[in-house]
Amino acid sequence: MVGRLPDRVFVIQVQKVFMPVNVLVVDDSKLARINAGKALTQLQPDWRRVEAASAAQALDIVAAEPIDIALIDFNMEEKDGLTLAGELRDMHPTMPIAIITANIQDEIIARARALNASFVAKPLTAEGLQGFISGASLRLKSVGK
Amino acid sequence: MTETPPDLTGLFGTTALREPGTLADLGERLNVSLAAAGAAGAWDWDIEAARLYFDPRLAALYGIDAEKAAQGLPTDTFFAAIDPSDAPRIRIAVAGMLHGAEVFLKSYRLRAADRSVRWVEAHGRCHYDLNERPVRFSGILIDVTARQRIEERLRIAQSAGGVGTFEHVPGFGTVAVSEQFCRLLGLHPAGVLPVATVNRTVNEGQPPLFDGVTNPEHGVDYAEICIRRADDGVQRWIALRGEAVRDIEGGGVRHVGVIYDITESRHTQEQLRELNETLEARVEEEIASRKEAEDALRQAQKMEAVGQLTGGIAHDFNNLLTVIIGNIDMATRRLAEDADARVGRALGNALKSSERAASLTQRLLAFSRRQPLDPKKVNLGRLVDGMNDLLTRTLGERISLRTRIAPDLWRVEVDANQLENAILNLVVNARDAMDGTGSLTVAATNERVTAPSAHSSMQIGDYVAISISDTGGGMDEATIARAFDPFFTTKEVGKGTGLGLSMVYGFVHQSGGEVEIRSTVGEGTTIRILLPRLHGSHVEGEDQVAQEAKQGRLSETILVVEDDEDVRNYAVEGLRELGYAVLEARDPAHAMDVLRHSGKAIALVLTDVIMPGMTGRELAETARVFSPGLRILYMSGYPRDVIVRDGRLEPGVDLLPKPFTYQALAAKVREMLDD
Amino acid sequence: MGGIELTELEQDALTEVVNIGVSRAAAALRKMVGKQVLLSVPAVEIVTRERAATLLGERESDELVAVRQSFAGAFSGRAMLIFPEDNSLDLVRAVTGDELSPEEVVEMEEEALSETGNVILNGCLATMANMLKRPLTMSIPVVFRGGGSDLFNPDPEAGEDGLVLFLYINFTVLERNLRGYIAMMMDMPSLATLKDLLGQFIAEVVGEAPQ
Repeated sequence: MVGRLPDRVFVIQVQKVFMPVNVLVVDDSKLARINAGKALTQLQPDWRRVEAASAAQALDIVAAEPIDIALIDFNMEEKDGLTLAGELRDMHPTMPIAIITANIQDEIIARARALNASFVAKPLTAEGLQGFISGASLRLKSVGK
Repeated sequence: MTETPPDLTGLFGTTALREPGTLADLGERLNVSLAAAGAAGAWDWDIEAARLYFDPRLAALYGIDAEKAAQGLPTDTFFAAIDPSDAPRIRIAVAGMLHGAEVFLKSYRLRAADRSVRWVEAHGRCHYDLNERPVRFSGILIDVTARQRIEERLRIAQSAGGVGTFEHVPGFGTVAVSEQFCRLLGLHPAGVLPVATVNRTVNEGQPPLFDGVTNPEHGVDYAEICIRRADDGVQRWIALRGEAVRDIEGGGVRHVGVIYDITESRHTQEQLRELNETLEARVEEEIASRKEAEDALRQAQKMEAVGQLTGGIAHDFNNLLTVIIGNIDMATRRLAEDADARVGRALGNALKSSERAASLTQRLLAFSRRQPLDPKKVNLGRLVDGMNDLLTRTLGERISLRTRIAPDLWRVEVDANQLENAILNLVVNARDAMDGTGSLTVAATNERVTAPSAHSSMQIGDYVAISISDTGGGMDEATIARAFDPFFTTKEVGKGTGLGLSMVYGFVHQSGGEVEIRSTVGEGTTIRILLPRLHGSHVEGEDQVAQEAKQGRLSETILVVEDDEDVRNYAVEGLRELGYAVLEARDPAHAMDVLRHSGKAIALVLTDVIMPGMTGRELAETARVFSPGLRILYMSGYPRDVIVRDGRLEPGVDLLPKPFTYQALAAKVREMLDD
Repeated sequence: MGGIELTELEQDALTEVVNIGVSRAAAALRKMVGKQVLLSVPAVEIVTRERAATLLGERESDELVAVRQSFAGAFSGRAMLIFPEDNSLDLVRAVTGDELSPEEVVEMEEEALSETGNVILNGCLATMANMLKRPLTMSIPVVFRGGGSDLFNPDPEAGEDGLVLFLYINFTVLERNLRGYIAMMMDMPSLATLKDLLGQFIAEVVGEAPQ
């Protein structure tokens, strides 16, 4: 059980002299993006967050700017999160990707694993996200980020 | 409950020393608190390692060595002691827990190692890792064998008593309820209901059944609340009672209580209250109506008492007067031609006064309803018409008389002479009330009485009303109340006897009718005589014919039976004077003797009615055995009950009322002999 | 019930499967609102649409809000998370953590309801799918409003036979006075499949063929 999240107004963090970590949050739910933001801020206040409300928007962002990590909702209209993750994986074979969904079916988890993506259950909490974020930051350090 | 001493090896699979804060210490503390909570045992199921740990009590219950149980058992052991008929559903429930269900609350039968079967209740919970995966499933068993029996009894008591239970944690939007609770409110049975749903059954303006706002510590106040059942919309009253119960763990407060239907008792209460509210008015009304009835009864009793008294006096008077009149009569007839004229005048005065006394006595009898009546079918219209001359003369020139006779008047059966007397009496009263001027109306109409009334004894039915209305001074209520009392008079001393209205009253009542007085002071009085309608034949009866004295013949023998010697002598002398042959007897036995042995043909027996040994009537019956055609004439001033039935003479019976004059005797005897 | 009769064990199994799903959903809700969520042990009933509307109408007289999600797979249908409309903004405030201004709450309402429904219904359906070992695909949640009978109106395209798997579940959230229901509408073939799957589940757990 998670305690209360800090009562802070979320501010997009644009900082760090050395190459900040860019996190892409893809979710068609604004509420879910806010929650993801809270969890991220709690874990890594220095990371920069970029939001996309659909798979198409996410692909545009990835094409336009450097993205280090992606948190992707599974259940989205038009293109679902696993499909988007597959496309991103093709473009960035090592990018840490997490599929975030309340759909905790074994089949979905298995498909995420097959794409070398992590699975994090909704609703997103700092604790739930911590494992993935720790792993991702290690991986980023190992590649020099 | 299996009693096991605290096990120092710890609870769940560790033999570490019991130092404060170690797992062993925790285990023991848990052990103690579980025992205190009434647990029959506890388990811990390690899902990942697929091992099952029992505490010593549960191990004992399962018949497993406590050491072994603490070191871990195959998970399937869990089901080993569960009764086979319960095992499948418990397996399903446990499967649910292993896959992430949160709450495990099941009751089932456990076959303990000592071969006893116990009802247990298992309370379990799952513990999860960060990824929401269940890692441990632990819980306790509670022996509910005894509780089950109590619950069964409680359940029966609740459904039999119509008691619904609830448990509500203040602040929560739902309330745990029993089926009976739902039924009382007309809701579909459910274990949990939204507070809003329950409160919505409450009628507008009533407090809610569950008030989420007030201070939960305050507890549950007794309340009677009007609700409308959700299913059929019927309005009911519900009582709510409960207590605030403080939970051992968490320190929260629960409101636990019952509701039950009190509509019937509320209804009774309301009726009672309404009854109380209107009681005063109804009592007053009842008292007034009872007073009216009592007044009417008292009046009737008074009249009856006075009637008996006057009747008795009149009887004795009649005998005395018969003798007085008879002797005056005789003295007059025997008075020598050359006698002192003053003697003749004195006798005349004496006779006149005696006759007045006789007439007074007659009126007393009339009032006391003891005069014999001779009712005949009467056409009232013709009777009133026939009185016109008499009434005009009685009223004098300055009082106008109007008669209004309704056409098609119903017939009545009444003693015409007495009715004429009554009308005359009332007219005289009216005249006197008008002080010599005014107008008087005599009317006859048909009346239909459709409802009984408290202040009169009048039966429902058809009547003919004769009303005499004057334009005199009228009477106040007090006067009306006493108007029928004998000797009550408003006239100057010496002007009236006070018996006129009494006589009318007696006569009319004896005839099955009623007299009413309506009067307003200053405006006049109307007195109405109501006589019952005679149903059936419209054939007009004979109007009575005036009698005339007739002489007798010596060939006709008359037997006089009378115990009063004076009366007997008077009658015997009178009859002899009339020319009859007369035999006499002093009592009925003597009379029978005479009848049998005189050897004479007796034409008529003139007999008193009440005599020692035998009544006149019995004498008549006995005499008729010997000579069937024998004529009997009664003489009586008090004929009640003996020859009269319902106030009327029996058919075939003749009566000479006492006191009788020589004339009356002559006429009656002649009439009978000539018949 | 309309040709679908569950045995006692199947009923137990269904209740348990639902219990798991609902537990999951409650845990999700707990995380979202950060408050104690009281969960009643679910009672499961298969009823007609009309009965479901009556059951709901008896408890909730006011307008309702429902988040609906279709699911398809071995068994198909629509799942609904239902709660009274006057709870709607409260729920939004609860899941957005009281940080938003009243205007923002109103602006977020639809979106927050949709996401909440998504989390709860997904949690519930996904768990059932896992338990019964049959994957389900789930649609994007839709929010709509109406009375009890509106919610159970048949979907003209789905051609459902009018049966509802009605779960009386009270998600009661302390201090928020929130409550809700979950209903699943399925057609007859889906219910028949569900019955089969429950049988398999029982066989696996109990180790014998279902009666």
